[in-house]
Amino acid sequence: MQLFVNPAGELSIYRQIMRQITEAIASRRLQPGDKLPSHRDLAEQLVIAPLTVKKAYDELEASGYIETQRGRGTFVSSSVPPPPSGDQQLRDAARNLLSIALLSGGGMPEAVQALHQVEQEMRNARSERGA
Amino acid sequence: MNTVLQFENIVRGYKKTENVLNGVSFRMGPGEILGLLGRNGAGKTTLIRIAMGMLYPASGRVSVFGHSPTLDPVAVKSRIGYVAEDQVLPPGATLRELTAFHASLFRNWDAALERELTERFALRPADKIKNLSKGQARQAALICALCHRPELLILDEPAGGLDPAARREFLEASIQLLNREGTAILFSSHHMSDVERLGGRVVLLDGGRVLLDEELDNLRDDVCVALAPSAAGNLKLEALPGYLRSRHAQDGWHGVFRGEPAEVSRRIQTALGSNNIQCSRVPLEELFVEMVGGRQ
Repeated sequence: MQLFVNPAGELSIYRQIMRQITEAIASRRLQPGDKLPSHRDLAEQLVIAPLTVKKAYDELEASGYIETQRGRGTFVSSSVPPPPSGDQQLRDAARNLLSIALLSGGGMPEAVQALHQVEQEMRNARSERGA
Repeated sequence: MNTVLQFENIVRGYKKTENVLNGVSFRMGPGEILGLLGRNGAGKTTLIRIAMGMLYPASGRVSVFGHSPTLDPVAVKSRIGYVAEDQVLPPGATLRELTAFHASLFRNWDAALERELTERFALRPADKIKNLSKGQARQAALICALCHRPELLILDEPAGGLDPAARREFLEASIQLLNREGTAILFSSHHMSDVERLGGRVVLLDGGRVLLDEELDNLRDDVCVALAPSAAGNLKLEALPGYLRSRHAQDGWHGVFRGEPAEVSRRIQTALGSNNIQCSRVPLEELFVEMVGGRQ
């Protein structure tokens, strides 16, 4: 899986990593049991501090998305829990999506169309993976 | 926790009338990464030179591994690696002569690490220093600072004058080092994206004092910048909880606050009775400008 960090982004780097990994799990580009790179390897690959990656992994592990098996590495959890306050997050994201659609002169149809497009992208990424 | 480096109430100036540092205190633990930030002239290099025992503080105390760098320079310097902002290396010497000289100074010089770094940086030991590019000279200085395996690495503006590719290579070498050795690093930098990549803690110097001393991730998550259209009522705003700093810019009033953007903007709207407030988390570069940038 390819990760990307932007040091000038609005989110701190460890949150960018967390978000990309949870997105990959949600779209099933990462599947239960998949192995993640070690935090040191990922740090060298992304050219960021190892502690920053460790912090992202620790938080993902605390929320149950990934699990570390001693001596074997870090894996996507076999059963991924629903995000805490998922309803609220969903509404926040929907509000954001609809605002952008309205601001660009559209509305519900454009927002729904964007959702369909993203879903298709996720589907493609999954089939590219050969899963 | 052990202390690697400690500044206590450091005061130092170059003119009688004005102090560059006016009571600076902070400490660093083993393996800690600390980015020293501040505008030009804020005293970053002065503070680093005081830690190296190259300058005396006018008052206050500095200790490195529990020793005074001026009274006990050998005990201190044998455990520090240092790359200066304007590192002067002997121009006529070859790289091989330069590293051999450093190797002769340190009992625990790691020749294998020297070979590995020389190879990674693609440096040629027979090259004369004066024929190296700026980036190569910085890499040579880094090798000299690293191969006695210091517990504390001090880098004064390590990326200064390097092109983006050379900066990235330097950063890659530093990250690999962090991975393997867990060396504590104190570095000063004007490149905020490099600071974000190295992470750790940020100490911001301004007006001779420590204006901020905080984990980078906390700053990114818990601090936000609010933009209000006019200066009206800004005294009221400065009294709001979480207020850190403000300035007047061309597009209005900019305030730095601790707290969630939504919560902070709600407070400001209540205080001003206006709903024309924008509030958001910002990258370190923006935060730096808002904290120490021009105040009209």
